[in-house]
Amino acid sequence: MYGQSSSTFDNHVRSLSTAGALEVPAGSPCVICKGSKNLCGKDRCPLMIKFYSRSRSRNLIDSLDLAGMSPPGIFVGRFGYPKVDIGPLVPPMMGDTSLMDTPEMWVGRSIDEIVDFRFNLVRGKYRIDATDFQKYGRIVDHTRDLALSNDPTEVEAKFQKRPSGRLILDDEVQPFGPSARLQNLEIGNPRYDRRVEKAFYDTDLRATEAVKALYQEGVLISKIQKAFSVGAFGVDKRRRFVPTRWSITAVDDILGKDLLRTTKRNPTIEDWRVYDWEMLDNRWCILLMPTTWRYELIEAWYPNTTWNPLGQQIEIISSHEFYEGRKDYAEIGGCYYAARLAVNELLMAEGRQAGAVIFREAHPGYVMPVGVWNVRENVRAALKTAPHSFETLSTALQHVVSRMDISLERWISSSAVLTDMMTQRRIDDYV
Amino acid sequence: MFHAKIKSETLKGVVDVVSTLVDEAKFNIFSDGIELKAVDPAHVAMVDMKVEKSAFEEFSADETELGIDLDKIKEVLRLSRAGDIIEMEQDEAKNRLVLHVGNITRRMNLVDTAGMSDPKVPNLSLPAKLSVTSDELQKGIRAAESVSDHIALNATPDGFEMYSEGDTDSVSLKLPKDLLISLEVTEKVKSLFPLDYFSNMVRSIPAGSVVTINLGSDFPVKLEFEIADKRGNVNYLLAPRIESD
Repeated sequence: MYGQSSSTFDNHVRSLSTAGALEVPAGSPCVICKGSKNLCGKDRCPLMIKFYSRSRSRNLIDSLDLAGMSPPGIFVGRFGYPKVDIGPLVPPMMGDTSLMDTPEMWVGRSIDEIVDFRFNLVRGKYRIDATDFQKYGRIVDHTRDLALSNDPTEVEAKFQKRPSGRLILDDEVQPFGPSARLQNLEIGNPRYDRRVEKAFYDTDLRATEAVKALYQEGVLISKIQKAFSVGAFGVDKRRRFVPTRWSITAVDDILGKDLLRTTKRNPTIEDWRVYDWEMLDNRWCILLMPTTWRYELIEAWYPNTTWNPLGQQIEIISSHEFYEGRKDYAEIGGCYYAARLAVNELLMAEGRQAGAVIFREAHPGYVMPVGVWNVRENVRAALKTAPHSFETLSTALQHVVSRMDISLERWISSSAVLTDMMTQRRIDDYV
Repeated sequence: MFHAKIKSETLKGVVDVVSTLVDEAKFNIFSDGIELKAVDPAHVAMVDMKVEKSAFEEFSADETELGIDLDKIKEVLRLSRAGDIIEMEQDEAKNRLVLHVGNITRRMNLVDTAGMSDPKVPNLSLPAKLSVTSDELQKGIRAAESVSDHIALNATPDGFEMYSEGDTDSVSLKLPKDLLISLEVTEKVKSLFPLDYFSNMVRSIPAGSVVTINLGSDFPVKLEFEIADKRGNVNYLLAPRIESD
């Protein structure tokens, strides 16, 4: 892994410094960092800069005013927390724009399509202290109203400068378009989701309880997450704005853990199952095992994919937990929690328990990050298909390998859960 | 029917031995004592425990089953001091267990035992047998912890060894025959075990106990020891890791 020898790291930095020629050597931190942690020591991620330079720059609007239907969408930045930029996402168009900020509706659409409509979302920025947001007045109030609104809502934004045109990409957050500082913000009458509104006005209800209750009432995760990020939940005094990126993982984690409290006590499934799925040039196999809860997400990044642009070989990373769960943040990031939630939704619906290993091969067609929703929604979609059923682990793994390019040996050596399955005997083996 | 009084430290010993592997357990109650068999959720380890009636200060019971959430018992234990007597009483009408410590009364709902069948105990004939103090085992585990996540237990006619090998380092604790309490080994045996399980199991053995280890080659290990002032005994079983190549 990275950082083990200083020479690897030096090489990495040196190669990134060569202007114009980006090279990610084997064992580089990029697949773990995913542009978020600056592990290479640079101020900005050279790969991200490359994406930006590729993305088309165009002027969406010529004036300082923008009127449009917000899907509704908002964004809370994370840099400089607790002093962060918050504000609406507004497209320069009217009509039903709800698709633009509802990732639950994006499965099956191409990267081009997603990037295209996301690029139309202009982000208004307004700097606040996330932990002390009440004192900032109307722009904050309107941003909150938007986040809690059920339907697309008319927004009029006045900017200080013309929004500068570039696409914002992030591994966890869905991409969006140009941004500018807000001068003023007006919005039409927001129509709150009644369920969300109830949690909003309940200032004794803890945030985790609110998230769980709304999910059980059928509110979309993207809606819960939006409300979570504007501090709409929780005990009065402790409410705060939460950066969008953090709020996505917080909601996935809260809900996944909550389902696990039930699913971990269910009887196990009876067979070995594999669910196949392919989308956005990501190939998925989800292996469910007739064991108690254990879970692993293994991602293989091919050369020429987002986090392995010019590598010579496939980079594989994984995070896992056994029955007791994990305490530290998953190495591979928010997608771990998103997929864990999706798996537990299936187990909950079946009233069963299982061990799960998710194999993901990101092939070269996956050229830019589109957000954690990609993992959550695609795992959900995969688990709605009819699985292949097997009698043994080895036949199930044979099927996985037949669909994937990576060899069985490499999968197993990258997987703590599979290694354990192969080497650790059970008491039942001796009865 | 179940009604008993027990010293808090004795109850703590019983709970510790079981809660290492499971959060909830089914205690089988008989007129002459209690028994419990449980496997951990991953089915890697098993506990088989018997505690005699005489381990209790008072004990009267008909045959019954109690499904108990062990965390709740621990909460009560935290309210007690060494030497305190804890009174336990089954409330059959409300399907509860009632605990009294001093002036505190804790009523806890029992866990449904319908889904908790008694696990089958493997019938193993393990060729090597030796006895050692739990303190020596602790030492071997501490040495291994920084090196690897598994530990090999080796026995020869000359002694016992705990050995761990990591990516770069290895560590071994060798106990020759004269440092062991007993040793009955005719040929060399060796099995590999997950260190986290082994460590947790050994940690729940009362300090200063004598542990009898039954060992084979690539077979489960059986740890036998006594609790409750020798009025209870515990068998732990731990399944091995097999390094396949």
